[in-house]
Amino acid sequence: MAESAKPTDRSVRLTALMARVALGDQDAFARLYQESSAHLYGVAVRILKDGAAAEEVLQEAFVNVWHHAGSYEAAKSQPMTWLAAIVRNRCLDQLRRRELDTVTMTADDDDGKEFDLPSGDPTPVEMLLAGADAQSVRACVDALDAGQKQAIALAFYQGLSHAELADHLRQPLGTVKSWVRRGLERLKSCLDRAGYVRN
Amino acid sequence: MNLSRPDRPQRLDALASAYALGTLSPRARLRLAGMAKVDGAVAAAIRDWEMRLASLCEGAAPITPPPRVWTAIATRLGLGAATSTGTNLPWWGRVTFWRSFALTSFALAMAFGVTLFTPGTRVPEQPIVAVLAGPDAKPALIATMMRGERTLTVKVVGAAAVPAGKSLELWMLPKDLPPKSLGVIPDSGVGRVALPAPPDVVLANVPALAVSLEVAGGSPTGAPQGPVLYTGAVERFY
Repeated sequence: MAESAKPTDRSVRLTALMARVALGDQDAFARLYQESSAHLYGVAVRILKDGAAAEEVLQEAFVNVWHHAGSYEAAKSQPMTWLAAIVRNRCLDQLRRRELDTVTMTADDDDGKEFDLPSGDPTPVEMLLAGADAQSVRACVDALDAGQKQAIALAFYQGLSHAELADHLRQPLGTVKSWVRRGLERLKSCLDRAGYVRN
Repeated sequence: MNLSRPDRPQRLDALASAYALGTLSPRARLRLAGMAKVDGAVAAAIRDWEMRLASLCEGAAPITPPPRVWTAIATRLGLGAATSTGTNLPWWGRVTFWRSFALTSFALAMAFGVTLFTPGTRVPEQPIVAVLAGPDAKPALIATMMRGERTLTVKVVGAAAVPAGKSLELWMLPKDLPPKSLGVIPDSGVGRVALPAPPDVVLANVPALAVSLEVAGGSPTGAPQGPVLYTGAVERFY
């Protein structure tokens, strides 16, 4: 029970900070950074697997937050969800931009060396389940088929595209696409039924 | 990616979900992002999916970013030198703020000095004043209240013209709580705002006021949406 109280406290605090950031309160902005940057940086590092790139995304995201804090609507999403969506979106943009650039890095051209992820790292599926801390969300993730769950978790935490997923899972592209699509559809109807996204 | 077909809602939902999850090919991603800029329905579908999926984000372990990230952000935004993640000094507690405030409050104290000691006033007036100024420290609005009365009077003395379809909204900035609206104020001249209680109660935890630019009639959400134009500390003359 104490666990469920924690995120609520944080949400209340972050919501108050967001409103002040919208009024140009620099100190509130510094505190917002203090409270959320480690979580958001963790998300960026997972997806990009590159500390320098994750730093850049975090920087861009917070510059964006400073200018657009006023567009955050507390009634529609938790503040951390809103912030995480900005960071994930920027990470994905960066990943896909890398793919568009034809330059490919060799395996030992490793910028991410300083960047060891903790060993005994949970798998993407484990993280997906762990992340779904609200009971309703967890139940929705749990209800997915194994293939759907794995494809979505890999895309979510490692930023794999359809083609990369097919490669990674050694499945035809069409199969992977339909796992993702069906999985997301099920997730959506389940989450919406649970009233998770308020519109 | 033809979204004009009759099965548009389903197609749009599928594309938006793949966009938010990140599985769209790079080119499809760029195309959809381009469409979202001009088509509100596309943007809304993407946003809904981003929120839905971001709710699963808690699974990644937090990693503290290097301090240089904050330094870079503060530099890019030109944030005050006093702003660091280590200090808890509110912006209205900083020297620069008080310097600009002192300039305007001196003139004002003189003005009130006159009314305070006007012969015939039996009970000394106990005014509460906030001079609101923009970044240039030039007074834009003066908000005054009298202790014990339930009216806030605001006089526009140098505010920039308000664009059509926009309103100025006055906010209290309570300590450690979100801003609270005092209502929409006129663009020029003198306006009055009824207070729900005497200023000592309403402003008990409010060190400063701010004015933001909102849609006509004020922010529909109860929280400030537009940019903040003017701020000023609450000063009690008693």
